Amino acid sequence: MVGLPYDCLANPLGAVRFTFEKALASASAPAALEGKDWGTSDLFQRFLFEDDGISQVPMLTPTTIRSLQTNTLVRFRGMIQDMLGNEFYVGAYKDGDVWRTNKFSDVSQFPMEPSSETRMWERRLLYCIPVPGQNGWTEHYWGTQMNPLTNYTSSPRQKRQREDDISMDDVETHAPDHDFQDSSSGKRQREDGVSLQSPYLENELAGNCSSSFVPACDRSFFPCLLKVYDSPESEIKLNEVFEFVGILSFETEVAKDEIDEFDYGLCEEDMTHLPPVKVPRIHCLSYRKLAAHDFVSSSPILEPKSHIVKGIRDSLLSHLTVVLGNDGLAAQFMLLHLLSGVHARVDAVAVGKLSLNLTCLGKESSSIFGNRLNLAIRNLVPFTHSLPLTVDYLNSVSLSPKKDYQTNRLVAGALQLAEGSHLTIDETQLQAGTLNSTGVENARVLKMLMEFQKVEYDFTYYKMEMAADVQILILSDGKSNILPADLVLPFRPSSADTLDGVEPEILKAWRWYLATVRSLTHSIEQEMQKVVEDDLVAARQADRSLGSQDLSRLLTLGRLMSVSFGETSLLLEHWQMVKELDRLRKERLQGSA
Amino acid sequence: MESLDFNRDTEIAKDFLSNFADLDGEAKYMNILQDVANHKFKAIHIELEDLANYKDLEEEFLRRVTENTRRYIQIFATAIDELMPEATEQFPDEDQDILMTQRAEEPTDNPDGSDPKQKMPPEIKRFFEVYIRASPKGRPFTIREVKASYIGQLVRISGIVTRCSDVKPLMQVAVYTCEECGFEIYQEVTSRVFMPLFECPSRRCQINKVKGNLILQLRASKFLKYQEAKIQELAEHVPKGHIPRTMTVQFRGELTRKVSPGDVVELSGIFLPIPYTGFRAMRAGLIADTYLEAMCVTHFKKKYEEYELRGDEEEQISRLAEDGDIYNKLARSLAPEIFGHEDIKKALLLLLVGAPHRKLKDGMKIRGDLHICLMGDPGVAKSQLLKHIINVAPRGVYTTGKGSSGVGLTAAVQKDPVTNEMVLEGGALVLADMGICAIDEFDKMDESDRTAIHEVMEQQTVSIAKAGITTSLNARTAVLAAANPAWGRYDLRRTPAENINLPPALLSRFDLLWLILDKADMDTDLELARHVVYVHQNKESPALGFTPLEPSVLRAYISAARRLSPSVPRELEEYIATAYSSIRQEEAKSNTPHSYTTVRTLLSILRISAALARLRFSDTVAQSDVDEALRLMQMSKFSLYSDDRQKSGLDAISDIYSILRDEAARTNRMDISYAHALNWISRKGYSEAQLKECLEEYAALNVWQIHPNTFDIRFIDA
Repeated sequence: MVGLPYDCLANPLGAVRFTFEKALASASAPAALEGKDWGTSDLFQRFLFEDDGISQVPMLTPTTIRSLQTNTLVRFRGMIQDMLGNEFYVGAYKDGDVWRTNKFSDVSQFPMEPSSETRMWERRLLYCIPVPGQNGWTEHYWGTQMNPLTNYTSSPRQKRQREDDISMDDVETHAPDHDFQDSSSGKRQREDGVSLQSPYLENELAGNCSSSFVPACDRSFFPCLLKVYDSPESEIKLNEVFEFVGILSFETEVAKDEIDEFDYGLCEEDMTHLPPVKVPRIHCLSYRKLAAHDFVSSSPILEPKSHIVKGIRDSLLSHLTVVLGNDGLAAQFMLLHLLSGVHARVDAVAVGKLSLNLTCLGKESSSIFGNRLNLAIRNLVPFTHSLPLTVDYLNSVSLSPKKDYQTNRLVAGALQLAEGSHLTIDETQLQAGTLNSTGVENARVLKMLMEFQKVEYDFTYYKMEMAADVQILILSDGKSNILPADLVLPFRPSSADTLDGVEPEILKAWRWYLATVRSLTHSIEQEMQKVVEDDLVAARQADRSLGSQDLSRLLTLGRLMSVSFGETSLLLEHWQMVKELDRLRKERLQGSA
Repeated sequence: MESLDFNRDTEIAKDFLSNFADLDGEAKYMNILQDVANHKFKAIHIELEDLANYKDLEEEFLRRVTENTRRYIQIFATAIDELMPEATEQFPDEDQDILMTQRAEEPTDNPDGSDPKQKMPPEIKRFFEVYIRASPKGRPFTIREVKASYIGQLVRISGIVTRCSDVKPLMQVAVYTCEECGFEIYQEVTSRVFMPLFECPSRRCQINKVKGNLILQLRASKFLKYQEAKIQELAEHVPKGHIPRTMTVQFRGELTRKVSPGDVVELSGIFLPIPYTGFRAMRAGLIADTYLEAMCVTHFKKKYEEYELRGDEEEQISRLAEDGDIYNKLARSLAPEIFGHEDIKKALLLLLVGAPHRKLKDGMKIRGDLHICLMGDPGVAKSQLLKHIINVAPRGVYTTGKGSSGVGLTAAVQKDPVTNEMVLEGGALVLADMGICAIDEFDKMDESDRTAIHEVMEQQTVSIAKAGITTSLNARTAVLAAANPAWGRYDLRRTPAENINLPPALLSRFDLLWLILDKADMDTDLELARHVVYVHQNKESPALGFTPLEPSVLRAYISAARRLSPSVPRELEEYIATAYSSIRQEEAKSNTPHSYTTVRTLLSILRISAALARLRFSDTVAQSDVDEALRLMQMSKFSLYSDDRQKSGLDAISDIYSILRDEAARTNRMDISYAHALNWISRKGYSEAQLKECLEEYAALNVWQIHPNTFDIRFIDA
């Protein structure tokens, strides 16, 4: 950063001005700069990623918001919950003879004459919220490195922070000597993670039911308004999780509302419902899409080598077996289920989804195993949710997001989830009862999510289908007819041993395993294709009731099985394992029927 | 300098208005102005299209109008002021006119007459409204595409109205009278907010050094009707993973009360920023809200008859029409992702096209809409087919037999919760008037609807006599029904009549009835397995072997075809009559009649033939159309009675023919070698002897040629 006349961290607007003046000197007319980047983005990319400036950028969280200053650089991680459309602003104006820019800020730096020549530019507004259902352990990890400004002086601590950042940002290139670092801190992390969980659940449930704009400092509702410039629209989509780096603009004092509010008809909503006092704004300079492994704390392994992967797989499988009361078959399917995800959409079919329905969970067993399972899953994947399916719940809650035309906002429903979230639906509490129209609608929405991995968003005059990617686990007594899962498996626990505590390092390894292995590529070799085709035809000849969905499910299982071993192509032995598993499952189904 | 420019443009505008002649050579705008002068209407729409067509007009002028529309509305208004002819008819005096005459008669006794503040603004004298209408050519913008660079310009966008405000008066010219000097003072209002004047600015008051108190004269001021609405992007215009955008629209004057929430509209208007004033400007600072000042509203049409072809579509259609194989090509493009079922798709295509309605001299109507019923095992993509057809049809309603509301399928009388009045509410069939109504789960229909549907399907009306309301609603719709067999799955051991859970009276109203069975067939199983593996491997559907036509092209083609009404030539009448009587004979001979061949069957043949003729863009029905119609009817019967076909020799031969034809169509070839043919038919369980029989029989019909030595088959293109 030598030689730069400004501090990117504390005075990013200085950098913006600097580049603007430089660009203006060469481009002469400000019109030429409209709608494109004049070098600011490059400058910050260099600062953030090449010079590793990103580790110094403080994370914006409800706790840090009070100490952060407006017009400084911050980071924010969240899910895009709503898109508020374009905002037109005075992008450049003439101050005497000099053109000034207002890009990346809410107020102009220099006084603006009312009569001065101006240029209208536009920027996109995105409404972000912290990822719904984010688990304590992921957030706690961020917590260790938030607010570096306050402990700027303690250099050893900062050094470690940096290491953490590197490992988080880039799993692949991370040097091995950072592995297994500092297990004591890991342990603390784990403990904190657990203690965080019970209040979090309440929080989450409350959050599910209530709609969006609630008090600013509620932990699960810390919305942020992102202003995005110049980037192609297709890069940022609804419900995706992003990390944004940008300039904070947040009014801490309550500005006196002395507006002589005319009846402004219909055009005032956006701003009045999102006062800058409650919702911080970030003028986005750089963003990056986050995947599950960005939320996993550190990587104990360089790359998915098969023997290491196999080791982790075995230990995770045995853990799941214990959790599931020594039901090995259920653990096998559970593992595959946790690895599933939509990886392609062909016509109406979402390829790669694998929802699991564990049946034969009575009142008692569900209270033991349901909770255990929930806890285990929460410890393994970053975003989890659970829905208690009761008649009352179905009749009252609105699952699908709905556009509120009064406020011009999208009201988040319980099913507006980030990609790759895990959803547990507990049907064991369901009693006989009458569904009202909301209930019927909700059941339909749930079914659609199960079948097509799509959620209908209600825009009153029409409905829009949004693609989702959610792993769905259903716990029920009998086979769930409301929610037709891909896999139905009667659950047969044989013991209810208490769980041993899990070493935090192992837990980390599991998380890493689940996050990394999921994203492996997969293919089927030519010979294997032939074998698979023949097997499918044979299966269909034997059982006429098999449809394309069942065949597709078998292939998905095959894929997940081979991927779970870290393989990128389907091996015969894995295919055989899958067939065997499916046979065992069918036997069990027959036995229970 | 600029004002000079505008003066010149005013001259251009005048020249245009007085000299523009439409196609008939009439001075279009002068005629309009005359009508306006006679107070017949208020709005003057200036079409950009006309400006573009006007002979000696510079391109520049057109560009200036599009880019600075608001200013040019003023320019045109000034031009019209000067051109406005005298009224040629008497009209009743209105308040404003009295005021105007009074103002006009008032002698200019004003000693300081040139006082600009006292000059009457032209606005107040105008009793017309000027709108500039964007050219209807090309595709309208979506809201998303309207960027900052369009500010101030005339744009055309499409969207759905989501909210509407009440209509309110908006002050256009405020008129004050001064207590001191007694003069009228005018103030033009251009924005939504204005600062009223308090002191008289007239020269007399200034000279006299008095602060004349101004009193706002509401009666003399000019107000405009004003309404605000929000429009939102249409679902089909929103990119995947995005939220529809919204835009504020302001309607003024004659354009108010034209829209209501839920309307799909196309608007042309000026995209403008809202000028902030006062404190709000300081607080909002750099941000500007924008709105669209509406110039013209068109409600989106959703009928075939009103479907307007876009520029290149016409060309595309004529190119398609020249192509011989259009019938197959269009049929295959319906639901391309659903494999096979070619004959069913053909039938569905004919349903989309339909036959012309006939109205006899004595007032009897004969329906032209084709009704089709698909029956079959669960999971054979019936519902997908239905939904796809609805998507292709410009006006289609998809519903299930159980119905979603109390209104059900037909119509119901309901009590309005607000006014307590009885209101008639149309059901799905009425809503689908002039379109297609797809009814899934037809067999699970309510009993009350089932009786009413008899009327809908033949008379095409819904009659209602409830709660003192007796009326008949139009339901000119083609019914596409899907039903499950009586026991959920088709039971091959029972007779078809037992499997079909619908009364014959209803069944006879369907032109075509199709049974889709999930048959155990090694070929289809392998096909399915391959498909599934392919999808998993390549993350996309396997190539179809052809490129399906876009739904929009399909729609355009069908709408073009629907404009024709082909007639049956005299020489074909005999042919059809013979065909009909032979079907009747056949039925009489058989001891277990499968179907009831009635006059309705004859009408069906005529309808299907007419639809086929429409597809060929022909005004007369040809014999080949009748043959294809008969074949389709035969195929539909076979699909129902497939268990019998092995027994009867004739059926086997037709089946062989259809197998060969399907295979040839799939591979897109006109030639089939004998070995291939034998291969295909033996898979389906037919013998070589049957194949030979088939070859001979159809060669005699001139369907194909058989090579004398090798027995290779060559199809003769119909």
